[in-house]
Parts: sequence; structure tokens; C-alpha cells
Amino acid sequence: MWDFIVDRRSQLLINAFNHVYLVLLAVVFATIIAVALAVLVTRMPRLEPLANAVSAIGLTIPSFALIGLLLPATGLGDTTALVAVTFYATLPILRNAIVGLQGVDANLMESARGMGLSEPAALLRVRLPLAWPVILAGIRVSVQMSMGIAAIAAYVLGPGLGVWIYTGLTQIGGKNAVNYALTATIAIVVLALLLDLLLILLGRVTTSKGIRV
Amino acid sequence: MAETRPSKRVAAKRSGLGAGAAIELLGIPIIVLVGFAAYAWWHSVADLDFVEKSSLAWGDVWLQIWQHVRLTLVASAIVVAVAVPLGILLTRPRTKFLAPGVVGVANGGQAAPAIGLLVLLFLWLNGDLSGFWTAILALALYGILPVLRNTITGLQGVDPTLVEAGRGIGLSGRAVLFRIELPLAIPVIMAGIRTALILVVGTASLASFINAGGLGGVLTAGITLYRYPVMVAGAVLVALLALLVEWVGRVLELIARPKGI
Repeated sequence: MWDFIVDRRSQLLINAFNHVYLVLLAVVFATIIAVALAVLVTRMPRLEPLANAVSAIGLTIPSFALIGLLLPATGLGDTTALVAVTFYATLPILRNAIVGLQGVDANLMESARGMGLSEPAALLRVRLPLAWPVILAGIRVSVQMSMGIAAIAAYVLGPGLGVWIYTGLTQIGGKNAVNYALTATIAIVVLALLLDLLLILLGRVTTSKGIRV
Repeated sequence: MAETRPSKRVAAKRSGLGAGAAIELLGIPIIVLVGFAAYAWWHSVADLDFVEKSSLAWGDVWLQIWQHVRLTLVASAIVVAVAVPLGILLTRPRTKFLAPGVVGVANGGQAAPAIGLLVLLFLWLNGDLSGFWTAILALALYGILPVLRNTITGLQGVDPTLVEAGRGIGLSGRAVLFRIELPLAIPVIMAGIRTALILVVGTASLASFINAGGLGGVLTAGITLYRYPVMVAGAVLVALLALLVEWVGRVLELIARPKGI
């Protein structure tokens, strides 16, 4: 297996890079969408049960089914993969962002207003920083999930390490079939764990000093 | 996901069932019924060509639904039969020290892509096991993680003073387990089982890659032939079945909850 990897190291690196790039891009989009929706829900609390129902039902839809639904609209390739991964990445972040933003003490928001902060400033400088650790926990769940979903999306010619898993499947019986699938699977697990570590570090750096423990 | 659970559960407890949970409990069967009726209506009036018709013939579709349900049920039964006793074992005084390691491995294992596990098992076991049992093995391995984790955290979350009180009124260790610890941990364990059901029914849609059947077959046929009606029909059927299974999980969760909590 070692020779196999050394022979194809450039292809492996390209696939790994594409995989991580797809996941990170999707998670960044997902974070923006989820936080925006969560801010909306905090302003209109009546939407909360609806948002929770959408996120629970959304997580139930198998990713392969969503990919099938998207194909007529987005076609084979990167777009379908990005849209599908972004959809699933949004849901855990949305749930956590709602919990986090609503968990901020109402008295604190009132003091922020009392100090003369405008509504958007109070949101950006008080509410979001206080909710950030909870939102980040949602982002970590999202990244782990997205790494696996991105692998499935390779079936519709999405980018990333999933390509090698399907190569292994089609070459069944061939001498490199297991090498392809095993290398890709291990690479996905290792990258997922590395990204998780990076997010923990990011949490250390980006958590407001006042609430750091 | 562990981070989001406690706060959500507390919120649900405070307001009885919770508006969101009620929407989901009543809404899901309605969505599934309406969706399936709409599919049946579309199937009868749609202008399908020969290839599309043969991919969506009712006989084949029912067979694949049945295969999918069977994969889900068998794998889930194995998951519960293995993960719950194992979780109980790992919280007993003598083996407690192993629990953090197992929870760590279970969390890490979640990062393994389902499709990778399925394909690898197929490549390794090809010939030794039928596609069906290979798929069952992959689905069960994947589903064990959340149930094991929740069984351990659920049992660890039981207030030790209650266990002591149980011993104090003369219950044996076994009686304390069955009459105090397990009933109190049931909500957390059931949440894990529901998560596992969702994972298993979703992953079962990939089983057709390794000739184990299931509704993924319609979907892959649609993608391979590049026929929009077939791939969308397959996707809708997979999604409806997954929603139905998730709903069954919710109902089981409600039934299993002890009356006192």
C-alpha cells in the first residue's frame, strides 16, 4: 500500500485538497446562512419551532436522496456537491446558533442598549460573541458530517477523496481496488480529525477574553 | 452532536412535549402520506418512455422498498442488541475505567465516511458474505456508535445518590440497574437509537452499490441512465421512507419514556 500511495501522491494531495476545500467552502456558506437565520429567529421567536422542525426533518433526508433531487437543477459535478454539503452543514449550526443566541441574558442586551449601542452594534459586539462558543460547537459537528457527505457526492462527479472510493468499487477484484478505497477512507478520517483540532484551536483564539475559561 | 442535546432536552422537558416536537410528530406522517399519494398519482399520469417505465415498475419498486426496510430493521435490531448491553457493561464499577476510551473511539469513528466503510467491507468480504449481510455489517457498525455513546452517557448521568438510595432500601445491584438506572437513562438511550435509525436508513440507500438492494437502486438507475424522472422518483421515495422511519423512532421514544419522567 505504501508504494501505491507514493506512486500517486500528487493525485492523492489534489483529491485531499479538493475535499477539504469543498467542505470548508460549504461550512463557511452554511455558517453565514445559519447565523443569519438564527438572528431572524431570535427576533421572531414564533419561528423557533418551525426552524427546529426544518432542521430535524432536513437531517433525516438521506444525502444521496438530496443529491438525486438536486441533479436536474444543478447537473453532474461540483455545484451539486457544494449545494448538498452546504444544505447539511447548515442544519447543526442553525440549531446551535438559535440555542446560543437565545441563551444570552436579556439583561445584558438591555445594558448594551443602555450604554448607547445601536441594535446592530449590540448584536455584533454583545450577542454574537457570547453565543460564539455554542455556534462553534455546531460548526464542529457540521464539519465532521460534511466530510462524509462530500465523499458520497463523488458519485455525481463531485470533487475530493470520494472519487477514489468509487474507483475502488468499480475496480473490484483488481489489485489496487482495496488500496484506492482504503487510502481515501483513512485520508478522510485523518483530515476530519485534523480539521476538528483546528476548530478547537480557532475556538481558543476567537472566544471573547471575558468568557474564556 | 453531544453538545447540542442537553440544552434541547431541558427545553423540551420544561414545556411538556414542545411545539416543535408536536409539529414533527403530527406533520411527518402527513408529509409521508401526501408525498406517497402524490408520487402514485404522478406515476399513473406521467408520460414515461419505455426505459423510465421499466425502472419505475411497481413490482420492482415494492421489492426495493421491502429490501430497504429489511436492511434497516435487521441492522437496527443488531445495533440495539449489541450496543445497549455493551454500554451497560462499560458503566459497571469494575469496567468503568474503560468508558472514556470507548466514548472517544465512538466519537472518532463517527468521522469515518459511511460510503468508505461500506465499499471497504464489500471489497474485503466479497465472496465470503452476501451483499445483504455485508451491508448489514456496515450499517450495524455505523449505527452502534451513537447508541453506545448515549447508553454510557445516559447511565453515567443517573444521580449516584439515587443508586445509593436504591441499595439502601435493599435492592440488589441487578435490581438497581433495571428499576432505577435504566428507566432514568431511557430518554438518552432512545435518543441514541433514533439517531442510529436515521443513520442506518440513510446509509441503506447506498447499499445498492454493493448489490444489497434497497431504494438506492432506483436512484442509481436514474443517475446512470441520466433520466430526470427516475432519479427524482428514487430520491423522493428514499426521502419519504427515511422520514417514516424517523417518525417510528419518535413514536418509540415517546412510548418507551417512563411515566415518572
